[in-house]
Amino acid sequence: MTIPRNWRARAAILAVLGLALAAAGPAAAHHSFAMFDNEHQVKMSGTVSKFEWTNPHVYIHLQMADAAGEVKPYTVECANPGILNRVGWKFNLIKPGDKLVMIIAPLRNGEAGGLLKEVTLPDGRVFNNGGFAGPALIH
Amino acid sequence: MKTDLSKLAGLALACVAIPALAQAASHAAAAKLGPRTLAGVWESPWPPDQLRQPNDPPPPVEVTTPPLKPQYLAEWRAQQKATADAIARGAPPVTDNVNCIPGGFPSMMGPVFPVEVLETPGQVTIIQEAYGQTRRIYLNEKQIAVEDAEPEFFGHSVGRWEGRTLVVNTIGLKENVRMRNAPHSGDMRVDERIEVTGPDTFEDHVTVTDPPYLTGPWSWTWSYKRKPGYKMNEFICENNREFADPKTGGQRLKLGD
Repeated sequence: MTIPRNWRARAAILAVLGLALAAAGPAAAHHSFAMFDNEHQVKMSGTVSKFEWTNPHVYIHLQMADAAGEVKPYTVECANPGILNRVGWKFNLIKPGDKLVMIIAPLRNGEAGGLLKEVTLPDGRVFNNGGFAGPALIH
Repeated sequence: MKTDLSKLAGLALACVAIPALAQAASHAAAAKLGPRTLAGVWESPWPPDQLRQPNDPPPPVEVTTPPLKPQYLAEWRAQQKATADAIARGAPPVTDNVNCIPGGFPSMMGPVFPVEVLETPGQVTIIQEAYGQTRRIYLNEKQIAVEDAEPEFFGHSVGRWEGRTLVVNTIGLKENVRMRNAPHSGDMRVDERIEVTGPDTFEDHVTVTDPPYLTGPWSWTWSYKRKPGYKMNEFICENNREFADPKTGGQRLKLGD
């Protein structure tokens, strides 16, 4: 199967495939990622306030500047420790105070949270969020 | 006479040599297949997480549509559509899984996450990394009566080896433990033929039988490949931030640290 270059078409195809996977059975994942807006991904920077290496998901809590420059708390959902270990993460990869650059699918309801697509650490290393979370469509 | 003796000698040699050659070939074939064991850690043969690039499509759907009787199929299809519509609206429903209740058997055998198999005397134990789900298959025991099988998430499983295939029968599955959300009766049975197909592969041929709900057997096959050197991650659902929106019932994310 060829993935079109156009990212919107690609996102639509992945969404359909995601639905097929979600329909396959409850073991597919903890939950559907449909509450996140995959088609309007954003690049954000922030400073880590807390890193939760937990199941069913890993969370990065950050202080982030919004479009008006006001700093606000933001919650980023990641995959789970097992998936992240398998794509090269480590439980202590991220620490409070780290400045991160992230590509995120924001919550559709406009609240201050999103699903991680890709994170760049202070040392420049880049990590994705495993296969189930889907790709970063912007850079 | 001399010729006859020589023919007899040739025949005698053939009688010894041909079975020996056949046995050697059989041994070679068995050696190629590897030992008859399920012990170890296994994963889907489709690209595992660490190799699946974000742009790769997910693995194909292996589990077929349940052959439900018409009165149940209509309701099942409506429910599937409602879920798909809710997902399309960005408000997926809160399922048991979202509430950290594991999928149970048979869905736990789907190798979306790695699966570890332990073989101990009289027992095969299968651990699914997702939710740390564990099932126990008791070997060479007679299956208990359905009315004696306490309904559980993983049921009551007995098995025996037939050549390279572990033949397993499971009963006693809770009615709210559903594969693909298909309803079932307390009498449902699941038969598996878990075939060791090579030194690093096995297949689980699953057949669900439930005459009150199904028009016939519901069968599918899950494939696995060995995941050498892998150490299973624990999975305790300690920090579940997904919850149901009180108005829409759709999933929400609890924010803040």
